[in-house]
Amino acid sequence: MAKVLVIGAGFAGHTAALYLGNKIGRQHEITVISNRDVFGYVPSWVWVGVGHMKPERTIFKLKPVYDRMNIKFVHAAAKEIHPDIGNQYVLGEEVGTGREIRLDYDYLVIAPGPLLNFAGTPGLGPENGYTHSICSLPHAIKAREAYLALCDRMKKGDKVKIVIGTGHPGATCQGAAFEYIVNVHKDLLKKGLRDKADILWLSNEPALGDFGVNGVQIKRNGIVQKSDEFIKSVFNDHGIRYQVQTGVTKVEEGKIHWQNYEGEEGTTEFDFSMLIPQFKGQPFKYIGNDGSDISSKLVNPAGFVLVDGKYGLSYPELSQTPEAWPAQYQNPSYSNIFAAGIAFAPPGPISKPFTNKNNVAIAPAPPRTGMVSGVIGRVVAMNIVDLIKTGRMTHSERMSEMVAACVASMGDSLWDGNAVTIVMHPVVPDRKKYKNEFGRDLFISHLEMGVSGAWMKFMLHYTFIWKFKAQLGWKLIPE
Amino acid sequence: MQSEQEFSKAEKFWMNFKLYQLWRFIVLNIKVYTIAVQSKWR
Repeated sequence: MAKVLVIGAGFAGHTAALYLGNKIGRQHEITVISNRDVFGYVPSWVWVGVGHMKPERTIFKLKPVYDRMNIKFVHAAAKEIHPDIGNQYVLGEEVGTGREIRLDYDYLVIAPGPLLNFAGTPGLGPENGYTHSICSLPHAIKAREAYLALCDRMKKGDKVKIVIGTGHPGATCQGAAFEYIVNVHKDLLKKGLRDKADILWLSNEPALGDFGVNGVQIKRNGIVQKSDEFIKSVFNDHGIRYQVQTGVTKVEEGKIHWQNYEGEEGTTEFDFSMLIPQFKGQPFKYIGNDGSDISSKLVNPAGFVLVDGKYGLSYPELSQTPEAWPAQYQNPSYSNIFAAGIAFAPPGPISKPFTNKNNVAIAPAPPRTGMVSGVIGRVVAMNIVDLIKTGRMTHSERMSEMVAACVASMGDSLWDGNAVTIVMHPVVPDRKKYKNEFGRDLFISHLEMGVSGAWMKFMLHYTFIWKFKAQLGWKLIPE
Repeated sequence: MQSEQEFSKAEKFWMNFKLYQLWRFIVLNIKVYTIAVQSKWR
């Protein structure tokens, strides 16, 4: 009987666990270790952050699902990974008791989600800083409280400054910040307070609408163009000011410090700010049989797990080498260790990076959205099933082959709500296969805005929670 | 001339015209589902 251990129960880890449980849960031991005992549907936290959805509607308990799927659940935080042959185990600390737990494994999936590196920008974040975040449920709740308090001030006649975007020169997840800013705009409009707020989009993207994926494509007036003009139209329509090519370097109370591409340093004042932090890998200890630190065999300096990608290529080389992106997410030093979701180390950025004259690299990191993380989780799970059953992996999917659909809601009303629906194929441009300037399939890749996006966002909320609860027909719903 | 940095009246009309949006909802779902299901065979 093989022992498969999954660290993390987010989009990637939970998807991997469901497929493993479904395929081999009865014959083999599948265990999930997670420091949270609930699954959180991250895309809806943007609605929590403006007070439009109750937090409990975005989460559900994991254990009842795992009990049905023949998966063992351990509510503990993984601390150490001991990957050397003959003595492979993970040490964790049980939540609540602090008791040390040892979990042996034959196959390990590392999918714990990102470490939100607020410390990477002094003064950033809701815990030790002055800004807010919607990257975790407690943060989204805290953002909601601060935002509603701000609305109370506006009701009394105060004029306020709101800044939303990225809080580090290397941050990712611009899509979530974009969704939040347009939801704040729409909410203020409905409350009759929009004229009391000056709203600014502050981002490290090379251009508006880049979203860390080198922009998306839109057919407008019969011409295929990049998304920057379209997003400019959205912001102009909504009266939202914007400042891109900007890396936030420090935050003080009510003041954001930044640098831009030109190397200029400046400050922006705010009353309320939601800035996405830099993401890093979880700080696990990787320990060899002799007790030595073997991190360099498993992770890059940012803590992301090295897999079967081609690392070290320059951006121009990487942008012409779609096969540099990993296919099976398997660590080259330890073939029984896989990484899924945000945990794997990408070979480089998708968007063009830039370093200013002060040597500050302003470069969005590649986003690994829910769909991408889910697909990777499935590929990893199916390959582990293959390895256990036949000893040979048969599944692979690079981000340069993967489709991704994102819906950025702009208000949650089914009647007058709105959303930008983005479909990308592939996520990472493949300029060898698609001989156009965008490197994407222009029949599939598409961006559009309308009330249908709001319907789509609602549909996705309910269908994905259905899927993640492993209800009837869950496998028919794509990742 | 209408700048491309603003939405034209026609664009705004189609964004809110429910019947057209229902059509787009169906098309987008079919498109995404078809391509995402192909991914399952990889």
